[in-house]
Amino acid sequence: MEKEVKRIITILIGICILFVSLVIYISYFQIFKAESVKMNSYNKRLWIGEEKILRGSIMDRNGKILAYSEKRDGSYNRIYNYENLYSHIIGYNHREYGKAGLELEYNNALLNISESTTLNELKNIIVPNTEGNTLQLTIDHHIQEYSRNFLKGKKGSIVAINPTTGEIYSMVSMPDFNPSTLKEDWDNIVEDENSPLLNRAISGLYQPGSTFKVLTSIAAIEKGNVDEKYKCTGSTKIDGYNFKDYNEKGHGNIDLEDALVYSCNTYFAERGVEIGKEKLGEVAERFFINKKIPFDLQVDKSSFPYKGSAGKTDIAAASIGQGEVLMTPLNMAMVASGIANGGDVVKPILVKETISPKGRVIDSNKTQIISKGTEISIASKIKNMMVEGVKRGTSKNASIDSVEVAGKTGTAQNSSGKDHAWFIGFAPAEEPKIAIAVILEEEGSSGGQAAAPIARNIMLETLNTIN
Amino acid sequence: MFNRKINYRLPRNFLFIFELMSLFLLFIYYRHDLDKFTIFSGLMLVFIVYISNFMLLRISTGDNFIFLIVTMLVSIGGIMIYRIDSTLGMKQIFWIGLGIILFFITYFLIKKIKGWENWFLIYVISSILLFILTLILGSRVKGAVNWISIGGISIQPSEIIKIATIFTISSYYTNYDKFKKMKFGSYYLIGIMYLFTLFLFLQKDLGSVLIFSAIFLCLQFIYEENRKLVLLNILILSVSAVIGYFIFPHVMSRVEIWLNPWKTIDTKGYQITQSLFAIAEGGFFGTGLGLGHPEFIPEAHTDFIFSAICEEMGIFTGIGIIILFLILVYRGFKISIKQRNEFFRIVALGISILFGIQSFIIFGGVLKMIPLTGITIPFVSYGGSSMLSSFIALGILQVASEELDFEEE
Repeated sequence: MEKEVKRIITILIGICILFVSLVIYISYFQIFKAESVKMNSYNKRLWIGEEKILRGSIMDRNGKILAYSEKRDGSYNRIYNYENLYSHIIGYNHREYGKAGLELEYNNALLNISESTTLNELKNIIVPNTEGNTLQLTIDHHIQEYSRNFLKGKKGSIVAINPTTGEIYSMVSMPDFNPSTLKEDWDNIVEDENSPLLNRAISGLYQPGSTFKVLTSIAAIEKGNVDEKYKCTGSTKIDGYNFKDYNEKGHGNIDLEDALVYSCNTYFAERGVEIGKEKLGEVAERFFINKKIPFDLQVDKSSFPYKGSAGKTDIAAASIGQGEVLMTPLNMAMVASGIANGGDVVKPILVKETISPKGRVIDSNKTQIISKGTEISIASKIKNMMVEGVKRGTSKNASIDSVEVAGKTGTAQNSSGKDHAWFIGFAPAEEPKIAIAVILEEEGSSGGQAAAPIARNIMLETLNTIN
Repeated sequence: MFNRKINYRLPRNFLFIFELMSLFLLFIYYRHDLDKFTIFSGLMLVFIVYISNFMLLRISTGDNFIFLIVTMLVSIGGIMIYRIDSTLGMKQIFWIGLGIILFFITYFLIKKIKGWENWFLIYVISSILLFILTLILGSRVKGAVNWISIGGISIQPSEIIKIATIFTISSYYTNYDKFKKMKFGSYYLIGIMYLFTLFLFLQKDLGSVLIFSAIFLCLQFIYEENRKLVLLNILILSVSAVIGYFIFPHVMSRVEIWLNPWKTIDTKGYQITQSLFAIAEGGFFGTGLGLGHPEFIPEAHTDFIFSAICEEMGIFTGIGIIILFLILVYRGFKISIKQRNEFFRIVALGISILFGIQSFIIFGGVLKMIPLTGITIPFVSYGGSSMLSSFIALGILQVASEELDFEEE
């Protein structure tokens, strides 16, 4: 009998623990999880208010309408004027599949919903809000279309930016999708192994290859002792691991400028080890690697895990943009833009202004220097080397007759076996008007061959069409 | 005597006020198409609950709190179902009324008839017959084959088998010494229970598999003299759980959804994520009756009624319901410890564990604390079978709460 009661109480305690854990869990969920769960775009409650509000339009820098809403059969319809062209910038606003891109990040502005305060709610009862705000982008519709044409049928991304203001002229990621026919295409989009939903410009993480040597060069100059000559034999062993040059012929006696101009792997691999991981990492972080880039869309962090156990081989590989270094195309465009702008990295801007239904500008993105990438004198040295690279080095294909172009190519090895083709650059070298990053994913060709000509054409077109 | 009445009167009046206030909110919600019948059925619910609590106090000398707790639960459930769908709400009020009548009938039958502990074989055979009937006539609802339809009325036999099983286990352990003397006597019960579990597995009724195993395991833990058998049972159940996970894709898929429902949010993970949205939207105090969106929650009137309640009445009400169940279980255990008749002692335990485990599984499931298995909350969810069998079980518990030592004299 005594034993029986004891066992009954054991079971009772067990059930009590189960129920108390329910209470704890539901409270924990409500306090810590509920806010983020609620904001999921699959939560249909978020859509209820929207039925009554005319969602704002989105236009390019010249006022060309890219997306708008109109009333049809009593409910609002979202119209995207240019099929696939803005699938990654504007994104989509779909009842079933939720929101993406600017439609997501600027949802409240587009609907003119302010934070829920008692005052705002009262205001809403007296004067109901029926129309959202319009967004004016920094994108130039012509350049955007022009850029996308080069990536048709390929995988990759292009980011063209004004290096002094941070305004983005074009941002392309391929493959893309058509936000107007999302329902019909959804299954194919989701199953496509090339992930068309991924905005490669801000979420694609790639080995930067030799374009990273620009940063290694900055670190080398800041460290000092760079003038001594180096004899390149085409390969070098670091900690038992062999680093080779792209064509495996030696470059002979070279200095830093020649090394960057001809993109000498052995030079930078050895110099990188000399510079050390701390210095290299510090320079990289000034250009927002390992850091969150402030932007109108959510950018994935580029990464360079130099802290901790990175050994000599890892640092040598990182110095030439291989191994553990991963960067987004937007970040790479910011590297080019920072050098073009005398070392000052400006915040990239996609949404120029938010305009109220009455035509008043209620919010605007101002140019802002967000980091001192390097000294102006060092930036100028690097610029000259990049100009030489276009004149006589690996970046020849980016040259424009009447304008001095600065550039750096990259050919990044990766697990697919087919190299990524990179190019970063800016023009004109004095007083730059445009900086650019081009990547062709798994192109199987070199940056100089495949990416440089595309960048050249876009830079030229931009200089010709944008005042 | 005087003191006892005061004790019951206060919560009974609170319940009365709660019902009137929530009915008032309901009527505001349905103000545009409010007819006499709606008002009548609403007031009917209040009346039935009040009168039956009043009557029980005169009839039974046992624990009257359990019925009070249950009437609170049926009121919350009934009001929520009425708010979701007025036709279903009307039906639910009918089921509640019928349930209360069955509660009293069961109470008298169980009390009047003697010898419940002697009919071990009858319980086993009728359970097996019901299982076979389900397999033959069963129709598939939400993936599980556990409904049979007779003359246009659908019933869920597993609800009745739950009670039969508790009786089976109780009569076995009451006559433990007799069974032990037989050849393989100690293995009878374990064999029968595995057979039942297998039947439920064939019906793909995972929720019931869990409930049956839990009841059996708990009662065996308390009453089995041969402790090795308890260990063996735990071992077998855990091993078959692991094997079941790898062999049956529907088990594996439940676990996958539980681990990450967001990945398959528009297909398999849809239900549970909609449930989480509702609970998250409700916050601590809820949006208010009629101001939430239970129409977005799938199965809001049955499996996911807890989420709908949390959205409109807040998790404070949700926690209230959890605590009500905890008190119900606690009182059930207390009844058991006090009861001197061994058969009813075990039955009281079995029923308390049934209420406790069943409500825990579905609360935990809709909260994504444990993998989701679709079962109803006793007394709260919509459904005739569930409501009636729960009231029958409560009627038995009510008998067990009284002094029944007459047979031992």
